[in-house]
Amino acid sequence: MISPETLVFGVLAALGLISMVATFMAVMERDLLKAVLFSAVQSTAYAFMFYILMAPDILLVYVPVAVGLYPAVILFLIKKTERFEGGEEE
Amino acid sequence: MIDVNAFLFSVLVFSLIMNLGISLYGIFWRPSLVKKIIALTILGDTANVLAIVVGYRAWVAPNRPPIPPVLTTWKPTAADLSKFSSLAVDPLPQALVLTAVVIGLAVTVFLVFLTIQVYRLHGTTDVRKIAKLKG
Amino acid sequence: MRRAYKYAVLAAMIVSTLALALAVSAGGLGYALPFPAVRNLAYWYLKTTYNPFMPKFTVSAPEAVTAIVWDYRGLDTLFETSVFFLAIIASMALMRGIDIRVPESMNLSKYGMSAIVKTVTKITVAIILAASASIALHGQLTPGGGFQGGATAAVAPLVIIVIFSLYFAVGSGIRKKSMLTLRTLGLLGIGVTSFAVIVAGLILGKAAYVFQNQPKEAAPIGLPSHILGVPMGGTLLLFNIFEFLAVAAGFTIVFLLLSVPEESVRKVLEGGEEHD
Repeated sequence: MISPETLVFGVLAALGLISMVATFMAVMERDLLKAVLFSAVQSTAYAFMFYILMAPDILLVYVPVAVGLYPAVILFLIKKTERFEGGEEE
Repeated sequence: MIDVNAFLFSVLVFSLIMNLGISLYGIFWRPSLVKKIIALTILGDTANVLAIVVGYRAWVAPNRPPIPPVLTTWKPTAADLSKFSSLAVDPLPQALVLTAVVIGLAVTVFLVFLTIQVYRLHGTTDVRKIAKLKG
Repeated sequence: MRRAYKYAVLAAMIVSTLALALAVSAGGLGYALPFPAVRNLAYWYLKTTYNPFMPKFTVSAPEAVTAIVWDYRGLDTLFETSVFFLAIIASMALMRGIDIRVPESMNLSKYGMSAIVKTVTKITVAIILAASASIALHGQLTPGGGFQGGATAAVAPLVIIVIFSLYFAVGSGIRKKSMLTLRTLGLLGIGVTSFAVIVAGLILGKAAYVFQNQPKEAAPIGLPSHILGVPMGGTLLLFNIFEFLAVAAGFTIVFLLLSVPEESVRKVLEGGEEHD
């Protein structure tokens, strides 16, 4: 059957592709609220990658910082400035 | 003929390099200051993941993965220590990435405050309009 | 049309990633990927992080990453803490003149979210603070440490500010000045700990280095590495506690500055009264 090594590397490759899709959607999106949510999805994929690559110290820093504090700070920023990129026109 | 493990690992490395390219495009070609800050955080995080990927270690046998660099016995013998140092991943990139995450966070927080001040004084966060303001 | 264009670009990117990986790994690389052995430097770090057979080289902490961050490369961490402090000071200087005053005739229980959310928040804030203190305290034995605990503990003031209200938080003691005092106390603690071994050496008449943790060849004095049979890592425990305090207080200042409502800021920007 499939050896555990191939399974683990397959999960890593799938996580890499998921993070690439999420990054692309975050950069191309014009509604800034959805862009922040896509970037949080990408941070979750990176957090899983840190766990599988055997780095638990970095995981414990990365989960509160990139999934909790970064989106909170940028949501405060969006509330105080504009929500749509490039104003309200097309 | 194809080594499946090497192929899957290369998929991971190349998707991280594509992430670097997409976030660089986002910093240069998107006109909103907030979008530039989001792309900058993605760039920093991707560089950190690449550093940890460099520090990974190949599997000794198909069902013996490497272990994190934490010693789990408090009275180790010499055999324990040599087994630990032949199975554990590299601890140095993890220490450097710890520092890099905190510094990236500090820079991002300062950039957020600058953006708020620019919006309060000029009324817009679009760099094309700010460039026309002439000071 | 634009959506189809976007998805076509995304599909092209995924296909090109897979094709590049196939091209690199199909013909043989000349070396194995990932690498089968660590470098010599990492081998020495792993070998001497908890080694009772080499008492003049070891750190006596079973966790290699915390030992590198606070003992082998302690100066890097000192300067990184000062960079973070400079960013907070720069943000406070940018937002000067804005002070949050609570009017006396304010009924605080009308502000914030509903009673259900407030009750659940009271329980979860206690859980968050306990878990983050636990992460910070066992940093020298298992994965954890000062930054990890501090970043987790910074979620609690954010939740209090959002759910109760900013005026409740300021009214119950979470003010800019008190958080700045806590942060300065944490940094002072780090400074004192890095000089602790030198002071002990001066008192007892032995040579010592700055940032020293365990006894070395020419400097035979250090902090105790085992307390009651449990490895405590010497200065690592003290560094973790003070860093936890400093990081949590620093993030609280940032959230206090970010959540000021825009009307009071507009009054200050148009040249209103002088606050301190």
